[in-house]
Amino acid sequence: MTKKLSKVFTGLAVFSLAGAALAGCGSSTDNKNTDTAGSSNAPKEQTVTWLSARPENGAIVQTVRELADRFAADHPGFKLDLQVTADRPSYLTKLRTLVASGQMPDFIDSDADPFAQELVNAGLLVDMEKFLKDEGLYDKFYEPALKYQELPDGSLYLLPMEYHMEMTWYNKKIFADNNLTVPKTLDDLLAVSKALKDKGITPIAVDGVDVWPVLRYAAMYPFRTTGNQFIRDLSQGKAKMSDAAGMQAADFASQIGKYFQDGFATTDYTTAKNLFLNGQAAMYNMGTWEIPSFVEESLPEALKGNVDYFYLPTTSNAVTPENEFFGNSGIGLGASAKTFDGLPKEFLSYVLKNYSDVYVAKQQMSPLKFTIDDESKFSELFLRIKKDMDNYGSEFAKPWDTLLDPNTNSVMSDLITKLTMGFVTPEDFAKQIDDAIAKNTAGK
Amino acid sequence: MNVLKDKKAWLIFILPALIFYLGTVFVPIIQSLKYSFQQWNGIQEPAYIGFDNYIAMFKDSYFWNSVQNNLVYVVIVVFMQVFIGLFFALMLSYVTKGAGIFRTLYYLPAVVVTVAIAQMFRNFYSLQPLGLLNMFLDWVGLSHLQSAWLSNPHTALIAVSIPEGWRFIGMYMVIFYAALIAIPKEIEEAATIDGVSGWQLIRYIKLPSIMHVLSLSLIMCTTGALRGFDIPYIIGVPGSATELVTTYMYKQAFSTIQYGYGSSIAVFIVIESLLAVLLIRAIFNSRKGDA
Repeated sequence: MTKKLSKVFTGLAVFSLAGAALAGCGSSTDNKNTDTAGSSNAPKEQTVTWLSARPENGAIVQTVRELADRFAADHPGFKLDLQVTADRPSYLTKLRTLVASGQMPDFIDSDADPFAQELVNAGLLVDMEKFLKDEGLYDKFYEPALKYQELPDGSLYLLPMEYHMEMTWYNKKIFADNNLTVPKTLDDLLAVSKALKDKGITPIAVDGVDVWPVLRYAAMYPFRTTGNQFIRDLSQGKAKMSDAAGMQAADFASQIGKYFQDGFATTDYTTAKNLFLNGQAAMYNMGTWEIPSFVEESLPEALKGNVDYFYLPTTSNAVTPENEFFGNSGIGLGASAKTFDGLPKEFLSYVLKNYSDVYVAKQQMSPLKFTIDDESKFSELFLRIKKDMDNYGSEFAKPWDTLLDPNTNSVMSDLITKLTMGFVTPEDFAKQIDDAIAKNTAGK
Repeated sequence: MNVLKDKKAWLIFILPALIFYLGTVFVPIIQSLKYSFQQWNGIQEPAYIGFDNYIAMFKDSYFWNSVQNNLVYVVIVVFMQVFIGLFFALMLSYVTKGAGIFRTLYYLPAVVVTVAIAQMFRNFYSLQPLGLLNMFLDWVGLSHLQSAWLSNPHTALIAVSIPEGWRFIGMYMVIFYAALIAIPKEIEEAATIDGVSGWQLIRYIKLPSIMHVLSLSLIMCTTGALRGFDIPYIIGVPGSATELVTTYMYKQAFSTIQYGYGSSIAVFIVIESLLAVLLIRAIFNSRKGDA
């Protein structure tokens, strides 16, 4: 009896367990297309769906909700269904599953990455350049913000909703105590970090869990010496990591990795920021979206008056001007070509025309040109960075992960972590990246 | 009770559950099998490519690395859950007063949410800011052993396996404990009268009596560990050091959008789990033959 019973149990256990492993690959979200037509007499009911990857209570979502309410007042029957999934991997899974099952929402968020390119190739996205020009909005955007959203061939299918620059925040007190000055060149940055480490201070706090903050360091040298040329060529298999520019990047990354906090590969975003805010690390590289953490009133007591920032240091043979560095206009907004004409188009146009008014009031830098009339409403830090922004060059340094194909990206996150931790040499790193790119660009 | 002897009535009762089971388990398996012979990125039309995904899989060094990691993970998890669980259950079977308290305490980790456990261990292992484990090492004068346990590729895999093993020790302990106390007292008494004691009692009376539970637990635990996903996915190092077959499958299917390739890895996991079950059953059956 027991034998028979255990046999039954075993069978059940195996099948249900094994099934769970597979279920992930076969499931599809049954998210219905929410376009519903009312009766012909009543105002036409139409729900516009936006699947968004932005933080739920962030300024962008708040702004869009406010504008949607105003828009609905003039357009009876209009409703915005804004579905937010802030966790990026979950968001992407959701989006890709919806697309795979032929249920793409009216609006989606996407980086200008190979997936977006696939959507464009399949004719699923609206040409935003044409839309903006038709609406007379193209010149209303800051140039770098739009350029950041372009696909590698220069076409524009995604719109920026935010506008950021990246800088290294540093602890003025630690620098002064150790007679250090702000690094002018990337080699200075290494020298400053070494001096700090020799004194037993952690030079740089970095979020290693999300990988991109680590990857930025590898991208610094090539941007200064080649602009975005190197990474564009690399992603298309036209350049190699083992070329001079690539090796410089790998060497720099392996050097700077020594100055990250111990065990950085498993430090998450908040922990890394807190290391800096608690005065346990001297530098922290992060963008203007963190301005609210660095304004005087939110800094911890010990750090008040002691935080400043510098932009990407340069190199002796730099081809990019000092006023060009990493920056981004965030994840882009795309529209479904199938449903765009009509209400979604009207709505988007309305949002863009009124965006800056609402968004800037929330202490945010808008990608649509804006001026500040009443300075008293903004923090000193905000106004200072707004000036930097007005003086910015013409193109942002491209983050590598937005250009590389997904397969190479996954190899890259593995190897960049190992490289900065000192577990692979720059030569091995370059070789393995080249192999991956050769393999992944072969079929294209 | 006659109604149960009627085959038709019996079928009607069992049908809803059967349909539900087939729909939620069997259909996805078959569908995955189909996807595994396709190249599909979710946008273009899927294309049949025969065994190409499987060939690519067997040539993929990252895949083999994940298989290797997974085996280490299985060994650690099974050792902790089944063997430590069994050890605790044996200890507990000698406790007469307050056994309930111990049972509850040991069972507690099994009811805590996985993400919470993962975060807890991330902090526990951390070196900067100083986590509990490194603090303890410092405190007992072993500060030279301090390490970033999760980041260091030499310890990362072990470090992500331990939380998974730890959280279900209590569950397996309860299962074994229930089996142990169900052994008829007469057998034990008879053996004691015959002069059997201590270790012998465990070796020749208690363990053989719970063999069926042991084999079932081993199967559950091994297949569970072969499909282990959540904790390594949440706190694993970015990259290959803590990559398991399931996390690799997930990445291939959903991050790099190769549903076909991901599905072929999923099929591999099913076959691997089935093989593990057959192997464990074969071992236990041959043992039974010896006895």
